[in-house]
Amino acid sequence: MRLKSILLLLILSSPLIGFGQTLSGTIVDAQGNPLPSASVIVDGTDGQFAGMDGSFSLSLSKGSHQVSFSFIGYLTQKRSVDIQNTSIEWSIVLEEDAVMIEDVVVVGYGVQRKKEVTGSIVQVSAKQITGIQTPSFEAALQGQAAGVQVSQSSGVAGSASLIRVRGVASVSAAGDPLYVIDGIPITQEYFLRGNSGAFNNNPLASINPNDIESVEILKDAAATGIYGSRGANGVILITTKRGRKGTSFEFSTRAGFGIPATRPNMMDTESYLTLRQEAWENDGGTGYVWLPNLTSSSDDPLTRKEAYLQALQTNTNWVDETTGLGTKGNVNFGVRHGGYRYNLYAGVSQDNNGSYLLGNSYNRSSARVNFDWTPKPWAKVILSSSLSRGQNNRIDAAWSGGLGDAMSNALPYYPVRYLEDQVDANGTVTNEAGEYFLWFDEWGTTKNPVAVRELKQWKNTEDRSINNAQLVLTPLKDLHVKLSGGFDYMHLKEDLFNPGALSITSDLGSANRNANYVLNWNYSATADYLLELDDTQTLNFLVGSEFQRTDNYGYGLFYGQVDGPIFENDSLSDDAANVNRTVNLPSQHSFLSYFGRVNYALKDRYFVQATARVDGSSRFGRESRYGFFPSLSAGWVISDESWFSSRHVNFLKFRTSIGLTGNAALPDYARFGTYSPANNGNTYAGDSILYPIQPENPFLRWETSRTVDASVEMGLWQDRVTLELAGYHKYSTDVLMNVSTPASTGFTNFWDNVGTILNRGVEFSIKSRNLTGDLQWNTDLNIARNYNELINIGNYTPDAVSGGTNDSRVIVGRPVGSFYLVEHSHVDPETGLPVYLDLDGNETYEYSNDIRKYVGDGLPDVIGGMNNTFRYKNWDLSGLATFSIGAKIFDSSAKRQLGVVTGWNMREEKLDRWRQPGDEATYPRLTLDETTYSLPSGFPWWNTSLFIYDASYIRLRNVTLGFTVPLPPGSTMSACRIALNATNLLTITNFPGLDPEVVRDFENAQDRNMSPNVTYLTPPQERAITLSISTTF
Amino acid sequence: MKMKHLLLLAGIAMAAISCDRLLEFEPGDVILAEDAIQDTDDLQRLLVSTYDVLANLYGGRVQIINELRGPNFGAPDNSLDFTAVYNRETTFFTGINGGAYTDFYYAIYRSNVLIENFQFVTDLTATDELRLEAEARFVRAICHWGAVKIYARPYGYTPDNSHPGVPLRLESSQDPLPRAPVGAVYTAIVEDLNFALQNLPATNGVYATQHAARAYLAQIHFLMGDYALAASYASSIIESGDFTLDEDLDRFETDMINTETVFGIVSQPNDFRSSWFRDNLRSDNTSSPQLAFSEDFAFFMSLSGAGDARSQWYTSGTRALCNRFNNKEYFNIPLAHLTLMHLIRAEALAETGLELSTAIADINAIRDRAYGPGNFILPESATAEEIRDAARDEFRKETAGEGHWTDQLLRRGTMGEDILIRDASWDCPGMSLQFSNSENTVDGFVLNEEGGCL
Repeated sequence: MRLKSILLLLILSSPLIGFGQTLSGTIVDAQGNPLPSASVIVDGTDGQFAGMDGSFSLSLSKGSHQVSFSFIGYLTQKRSVDIQNTSIEWSIVLEEDAVMIEDVVVVGYGVQRKKEVTGSIVQVSAKQITGIQTPSFEAALQGQAAGVQVSQSSGVAGSASLIRVRGVASVSAAGDPLYVIDGIPITQEYFLRGNSGAFNNNPLASINPNDIESVEILKDAAATGIYGSRGANGVILITTKRGRKGTSFEFSTRAGFGIPATRPNMMDTESYLTLRQEAWENDGGTGYVWLPNLTSSSDDPLTRKEAYLQALQTNTNWVDETTGLGTKGNVNFGVRHGGYRYNLYAGVSQDNNGSYLLGNSYNRSSARVNFDWTPKPWAKVILSSSLSRGQNNRIDAAWSGGLGDAMSNALPYYPVRYLEDQVDANGTVTNEAGEYFLWFDEWGTTKNPVAVRELKQWKNTEDRSINNAQLVLTPLKDLHVKLSGGFDYMHLKEDLFNPGALSITSDLGSANRNANYVLNWNYSATADYLLELDDTQTLNFLVGSEFQRTDNYGYGLFYGQVDGPIFENDSLSDDAANVNRTVNLPSQHSFLSYFGRVNYALKDRYFVQATARVDGSSRFGRESRYGFFPSLSAGWVISDESWFSSRHVNFLKFRTSIGLTGNAALPDYARFGTYSPANNGNTYAGDSILYPIQPENPFLRWETSRTVDASVEMGLWQDRVTLELAGYHKYSTDVLMNVSTPASTGFTNFWDNVGTILNRGVEFSIKSRNLTGDLQWNTDLNIARNYNELINIGNYTPDAVSGGTNDSRVIVGRPVGSFYLVEHSHVDPETGLPVYLDLDGNETYEYSNDIRKYVGDGLPDVIGGMNNTFRYKNWDLSGLATFSIGAKIFDSSAKRQLGVVTGWNMREEKLDRWRQPGDEATYPRLTLDETTYSLPSGFPWWNTSLFIYDASYIRLRNVTLGFTVPLPPGSTMSACRIALNATNLLTITNFPGLDPEVVRDFENAQDRNMSPNVTYLTPPQERAITLSISTTF
Repeated sequence: MKMKHLLLLAGIAMAAISCDRLLEFEPGDVILAEDAIQDTDDLQRLLVSTYDVLANLYGGRVQIINELRGPNFGAPDNSLDFTAVYNRETTFFTGINGGAYTDFYYAIYRSNVLIENFQFVTDLTATDELRLEAEARFVRAICHWGAVKIYARPYGYTPDNSHPGVPLRLESSQDPLPRAPVGAVYTAIVEDLNFALQNLPATNGVYATQHAARAYLAQIHFLMGDYALAASYASSIIESGDFTLDEDLDRFETDMINTETVFGIVSQPNDFRSSWFRDNLRSDNTSSPQLAFSEDFAFFMSLSGAGDARSQWYTSGTRALCNRFNNKEYFNIPLAHLTLMHLIRAEALAETGLELSTAIADINAIRDRAYGPGNFILPESATAEEIRDAARDEFRKETAGEGHWTDQLLRRGTMGEDILIRDASWDCPGMSLQFSNSENTVDGFVLNEEGGCL
């Protein structure tokens, strides 16, 4: 492609002579969007670029001419024209090239013709990313690439999706792919604020999707090997928009609303009290049952009765009180300009994304400037800079409150506010009518989700700037030297004010500020050289080195006994009774890397690539600091062989690769044995103390994956249908685990290289233009099967590594993060008691942790997506369906909602309970006493396989109806499109809970790897309807 | 020419970045282990950290655990962890038992590290070394003892005490260890305390002293059934004259060390070490504190009538709340005190049948304070059995909430008495709390049998 461009430029620079009449017109895509700078070549020699509105005009000599029209990503169209005495005007519509074998794709530290690529790379266009309303751009990758599992984030605004490329290959080290924006590996820290409020920081939320030109997903070792140090879990390359010839402006806006995709079916007061009464009577209770926060079991019968009857007077729907309509608005403006030796792209954006969770929104303001300057033919300067501020107006979610409360401890007989004055036995008014009704949950936390939402002030502010400067020198023909420096700045600040009104014991509140700064520097130097051995052979060398350093530091402030938010009025801090300041000194890490790549091409159909990368990480000690990550791959374009002849197959390519990649995403100082700081401020009896914090492991080393990959790519009927079939085998060794060690050692955790994990699978994707002509119908389908198995964990038991509170464990022979629970068999029809299965499969009434076993896992067997697009004249309709088959979901909140009757509200499924001998019911006899189910006292967490469900689903992820507005000739506007978009309109699943696709809040990276598909009061995804207008002028 | 190009390009790329020092980062807010202990001060601060852990354990947590296992406390209000202990149905998912177990071994590990680091400290005097080792071994001993009492069957459960105890950690190591026999654990505990007794200073501020070692040896030998030794160690303290009974019956004092305290936990306004007592027992904090005395205990106390000053320690009503810690935000907690020594000596002497007059005097000293001089005194003619019974009655009353009574019942169970604790036999499996989940992460560790006490 690059050669063609150069040729075109040379052609354009030559004098054009001997003209007759004019051939003019516009070049547009199937939707009518102009294709600016599309190339028009006449008779293989003359030509020009189209204008920003897609228009062209050529003066041609009389006679016949062959005119070809081409544009990146579209099939070249050749037409004959006979020029006589009249001018001719054409409207050229280029069709998208499904394969784009002549197109270039971004690879590590460069670009390659897709035909030459020997690794597994999937390209996702800007349109695929911006065409859908998502909380964060990465969610739009779902269903777009085979083998890339994207689990959508919850309904919390700005929350993060979970992406796994070809399965889970890590346990405790971060298993997310590496994100690289314009060559800079960016900060991707999800736990800067831990799991505060059941929300993990999303480092990708501040990235403006409208700045993205394309996304490449690198999947195998050949593709990721050049990023060897962190390529084990895939690499996602993000390329932002740049300027181009001429001047054009882009303006788009979007508005809409979001509602919960599903709603919890919690019981009303009458149902809850009825079932609670039944449980009480089953347990031998007489009279009216005692009610949480109104009475206790030791109260006399009359008191209990009065409370019961009083409770019946209130029926609060707490789901209604915590959810509603979230409004969305988005405005983008961008300019592309190309002048003499420079190009400029500048864009600004404002995105306001209100979630359906009342009080919750994520608002992002962002700006980007990308500037390219070629001061000399041998020198080019490339600058990229973005600045964004994301403000998350926080609410409590899941276990922390809000809708989570509505699904748990907010009982329907609790009023939002007192309806009348409350007086005690002495006649003293304790609470006035209109005051919030506050209660304690079982952990002693003051609750009332409405009061908390309305009184608590809480916001996260993230300032982010990602910058990159590159100098590209061409000192010799075919030698390019690139020096690059990048800086990624992140400042995350969380401000919280808990007013005294939310405390039952204090009139004054408390204020917190926690701030984190993450500074990420990246420097690289590369040189590539193209060596043409002869007419049929080329060698392309790339060598380079790279250094990356990240500093992470911050501070925390706590002000007790204040009556206002400190972050809005600093003077309030003067009156604070308790002030606690903590400073987090920098946590630092760095990578130092040397790498090289050699590409050999023979006859433009045989391709071999070898890469090697040596990575050093500060996270490892001197003995094991450096890892060596080589890869070797080859491609063969069979269809270019002279002997190959097929009427149907126009393109056939085979490629294969083998290589090593690594992972070092563990805490910066895990290898050190450490003690508390000298002046840690901790004392006993006034004397300072010194104490060990973590044990030393100087032998920590790289987690390494060896991947073998092979695929066949095929184009049929002139690329009317294209398909790819790929298979891979990924064997990860020295898997880093933060194992729980016997507490008697003096420590409870220890980082070690312990595990071995296998991932293997097949992927298939097909793109088909089913109908062409006026009515067009395209189908894109991808489907992937992955098998995951934990091969070895040394002499540790499954409990050595757990997924936080999620009952997922490491079980040899099972997938990472398998659910490890007591197996539930059935409810005994005679007794109504639950029957469990012991390790031998025998039925037992005895619940015991000793009979926990593998009962399922959250990893799907098959994932995929299918996108159908219909176009008719100016109208287009597309629908993306995504599916996941074979995964299980652990509904961890159901064990309380559908288990022992406690101070949690119940779901309506619970009505299917045992009531009398002979009943065959899903749920056992109701009880207030956990020991009825043989649970240990004080442990109402009924962890059984009863709440493991099939999470298979097919979901209509996205439907878009678009209309390309026809523009009159001479219009200042070159394109205008109106689209109506809907997400999550329909989900087909057997899962009885809220949402079969879940990304809950996680405690840490290990939890994120170990606990896919565990839901715990997790807000369901949203259903969003948006209307958008996008214009170019 | 082409080779020159290749060399040039390699040189440009490689020269740009090349320095291994760029990969050297050390944590800034902590000290590396190899740098942590440089001098005697560091050793001293490490030693104080073992007391710090002790304070976290014995600031009420261990006492409450022990009382919840026994008959003195009623059912908790709604705390799931407390309920699990109360019902003696802990699992390794129950937080309170796992947390306490972990803390016991934090202190033990630090004690071992302290001893192993003497060789690296150049300014350490022989005197300091002996004193530091004695204190470290004192802490190690009482933590092993605290753990083995909670997580294993009591001493005497088997004739040779070969039943599984807890891991015996006498050196720092990251290797997993199995449970040592209870007998071996007690042997090591006694050895540590004997060493401490020989090498601790007579006075040591709020930290361990020779008397502290004696006080623990008295308690431990008492539980082991070595009554003569127990009485002997108790006598050493009683007769020393360094301690006096507090006439106002309040050993939990704020900002001062009670005159009875041989060894205890110091609580200060900035650390609230006594918060477990304050938050879960104080009847003036909330109308419904988590914990209250049992009906059985209230009935037992009522037998002595209102004339017993200790009746002020609880409220009347169906749920007898604890008044003992009221009106105190923080207070010091005696772990070994003079009253305990009097009562141990009294019962120990009664068991041996020797020096019964001394035993009677011990009991009457306690009763004089409780009922007023001369009231309810034990006659000089009291038999050994009467003395023993009186000692037990006073022991249960005086240590209400201090976490000692359950151990006494278990001791008596091992001696053949028919002891029921809340309708369950003293040796029902759940009396031994379950270990921390982390002990279950390596193959081969034998966990406790759960439940069986309801």
